[in-house]
Amino acid sequence: MRHFFCLTALLCVAAPVLAATVQVQMQDSAGIPLADAVVYLESKDAAAAVKPLLGAEVAQVNRQFDPQVRVVTLGTAVQFPNHDRVRHQVYSFSDAKRFELKLYAGVTASTIVFDKPGIAVLGCNIHDNMVAWVIVVPTPYFGRSGPDGKLTLDNLPPGNYRLRTWHVQLPVGTPALDQALTVPATGANVAVRMTGLAP
Amino acid sequence: MISGLLPRLNMGGWRLSTRIVVPSLALLMLVQAAVLLLVHASIDSNARRQVASDLVGAERVWRSLIDQKTQRLRQGAEVLAADSGFKETVTSRDEATIRSALENYSQRTGAAVTALLDPNLNTIAINADKVNIQADLLKQIATPLRTGTQTGQLGVVQGRAYLFVMVPLRAPLQIGWILMGFATDKTLAEDLFKLSNISLALAISTDGGRTTTVPIFTLPSDTVDDLLQAGLLRSEFNTPDDTLILRHVAIKTIGGTVDALLVRSLKQATAPFRDLQLILLGITALGLLLFGLGSAWTAMRVTTPLRSLVQNAERLGKGQYDQPIQHTQRRDEIGDLAKAFDRMGKNISQKQDEIQKQAYWDRLTRLRNRVGFRNDVNAAIAERRASEGLRQAPLSIITLNLDRFKHVNDILGFTLGDRLLVAVAERLHARMENGALVARLGGDEFSILLPHADADAAMSMAACIANAFETPLSFDDQNVDLSASMGIACWPQHALDTDTLLGRAEVAMYVAKRKTTVVQLYDPALDSSSKQTLSLLSELRRAVEYNELRMFLQPKIALDSGRVIAAEALVRWQHPLRGLVPPDAFIPFAEQTGFVRQLTLWMFDEAARQWAGLQLPDQPLRISVNLSTRDLLDLDFPARLDVLLAKHGVAPEGFCLEITESAIMDDPLRAESTLKRLSERGFKLSIDDFGTGYSSLAYLKRLPVDELKIDKSFVMGMEEDPDNAKIVRSTIDLAHNMGLSVVAEGVENMEILHLLREQNCDEAQGYYMSKPLPVDAFKLWRERWAGRADM
Repeated sequence: MRHFFCLTALLCVAAPVLAATVQVQMQDSAGIPLADAVVYLESKDAAAAVKPLLGAEVAQVNRQFDPQVRVVTLGTAVQFPNHDRVRHQVYSFSDAKRFELKLYAGVTASTIVFDKPGIAVLGCNIHDNMVAWVIVVPTPYFGRSGPDGKLTLDNLPPGNYRLRTWHVQLPVGTPALDQALTVPATGANVAVRMTGLAP
Repeated sequence: MISGLLPRLNMGGWRLSTRIVVPSLALLMLVQAAVLLLVHASIDSNARRQVASDLVGAERVWRSLIDQKTQRLRQGAEVLAADSGFKETVTSRDEATIRSALENYSQRTGAAVTALLDPNLNTIAINADKVNIQADLLKQIATPLRTGTQTGQLGVVQGRAYLFVMVPLRAPLQIGWILMGFATDKTLAEDLFKLSNISLALAISTDGGRTTTVPIFTLPSDTVDDLLQAGLLRSEFNTPDDTLILRHVAIKTIGGTVDALLVRSLKQATAPFRDLQLILLGITALGLLLFGLGSAWTAMRVTTPLRSLVQNAERLGKGQYDQPIQHTQRRDEIGDLAKAFDRMGKNISQKQDEIQKQAYWDRLTRLRNRVGFRNDVNAAIAERRASEGLRQAPLSIITLNLDRFKHVNDILGFTLGDRLLVAVAERLHARMENGALVARLGGDEFSILLPHADADAAMSMAACIANAFETPLSFDDQNVDLSASMGIACWPQHALDTDTLLGRAEVAMYVAKRKTTVVQLYDPALDSSSKQTLSLLSELRRAVEYNELRMFLQPKIALDSGRVIAAEALVRWQHPLRGLVPPDAFIPFAEQTGFVRQLTLWMFDEAARQWAGLQLPDQPLRISVNLSTRDLLDLDFPARLDVLLAKHGVAPEGFCLEITESAIMDDPLRAESTLKRLSERGFKLSIDDFGTGYSSLAYLKRLPVDELKIDKSFVMGMEEDPDNAKIVRSTIDLAHNMGLSVVAEGVENMEILHLLREQNCDEAQGYYMSKPLPVDAFKLWRERWAGRADM
């Protein structure tokens, strides 16, 4: 996240164009603020502006993926360091990225480049209960809702966007919700109500 | 034993043995039947309970078998779902690859249906070669399995039952379900049968379809068909040779109904008990046989000796007392019975002997009695008759009667009388020789059989006996003088048969007694009328009835005046054939038979009837009537006279009753009592035949008599015999001194009449005056006598 904000700050500096701010309020179907929702804004311009992240990794600690949800930009190479003493065999049969790492141990794992936008569900063939999500976004404008369900995206060039939202609790295989959002130069406030969340 | 027993049972009806054997056997059979029935019922109910419990157990086994199978299948499915290759294939979304993977897996596991469902149970891919299963049915089946609490689900597809299992497919999140269906087959049912010996029939009906099929069963197919026809919902089903107990296990099924019918054969369940029952039946039969034999043997042990005892008793009844009684050595009740029989036999035998003795022997004197003696005489005569042609030995009978024994008995008492008889018996017995036999015929009458004696020998024997009586018998310081009168009859001289012979000896004895000649040999003359005596009694009765008796009167004259003052009434019998029968011919007989009482009463009746006609104005006539001993002994006699007096309206004073001395002495006490009562009535009493008896004047003095009649044996010839004259005189004096008047009988001539008058005799009676005359003749005679100026 730190990198993220650094990056956006850099971008804003590099493109001294008009910048707007979009504030998104995430809610569940009952209107309660929804934390940890993945939010991103798609557009052609945004897609053109996207750049792979550096040093992205999904580690395995205590037989769990860490973090469980990782948002990466398209083309990012993700590393899978193993901090456990047991071996893991990480795989993904998701359309976003199909891969299967050989059984390995240690941090010197190979990297996987996520070159297709979408959601890849990661698992371990050895440990059925390990699961992680890698959300590959084709935009530099993304973030996650805070505990108050709020998320602010700054330095957005005004224009027409697709507002995509996703949450872990959405049914398995559900793609990110998609809605149109026009961002004026003055910025925008938008609320997204998510239905069908698993309890 | 049995074969011997049965005919006896049949023949004897309810004999003792039957009574013992049959009820015992019947009771035993009843008990055994009850036991068998109880056992049977108990086995049946127990077996049913057992079967029911077996079926409950079998249901558990069945469910557990299904569970196990489900688990196994599910584990297989889980293995598939965990296979990363499979996961990869499934996530490839290449439907052909997915289906081929499913097909491959179906072949590996033998699943009839393998389907991949998405998380919402929609079919993604299915492999079902032989089954056409719709997606919605698949969803229906999958739905209950989704939660995971239910591991398997039965579903009916096209009339067949399938067991479905479902496992989630994760990669790593759940991306779908693997649903597998396995056709149910016979193995489960066979397993069940192996485990619990219980048959199973799986009935399947499709929803909507009315048909029910039983594709799986471990029962005979005929039975299944019958069951199907009869309807499956029954708890019991009877096949031709068995009863099946059924239990229904409904299994939750989708797409139809699956009913598991657990079936247990009752016959099979009771088979072990049946063997037990057969053994029990065998034991019962054996028991019955043994018990039957035992009780039959016991019964025979009882009845066999009883039968022989019955024979013994029958022989006792026939008088065979010398036979030994069997079973007396036994110690049981039979033995007691036998002993009782034995004692009874001996007692009866003893009694028989005693009775025989009493029949033929006199108890008092231990001599033969009349019956025994008669037998002896019979035997002796028979013996002589048997030796006919040879010289026949004579045979004599002496019949002996003690004189005045009654008197002795009355004075000395019966006890002494008996001792006297015993002493006489001893004395007689002591004199017996040459096979002579003495017997007591009764009372004071004895008889002696002299087997070889003729009349002379008998006479000398009689003399010898008479001699023996010379010596007085002494008892307790009392000397008793005894004499006896004896009559002798000889065979074949006097009679040919026993009874006549004895009778004639008796006749002779009575003659001897009457004549006081001690011994009298029988003479037919003594017994001239003896041939007629048999019919005499009936003739006498007839004589009274037909008025054949006549009253004759013999006058008595007063010696001082010569007037006729009295008459003795005498009976005569005007027999229609024999003419006038003399009194001697029937009076003694009448006295013997007792008929004399009727004669006396007839006489008195006749005298009373004629009395009035015999009275003259200046000459009253007293009529004397003779009484016999029997009259005096009759307590009612005075009363009978009262009746007759009243009948003819005459007074007793007009009559004199004459009683012989011997009549009084037969029973002096009773005679005295009767005489007193007669005297009180006013009758004049007279002692007849005075001087022939042994009565003392002192005794006579006590009697209320008025007159003495001196016996004619003294009066006749007194004019020539001074002794008799003295007796007559002293008797007259004596009588006068005692205040009695004196009548002299047997006055046959004038000399006697004068003598009597000189001696102051009061009255005279005799042929000199008149013999007894019929009444009319008497009246004529009296007129003539009155006409005589001088006597």
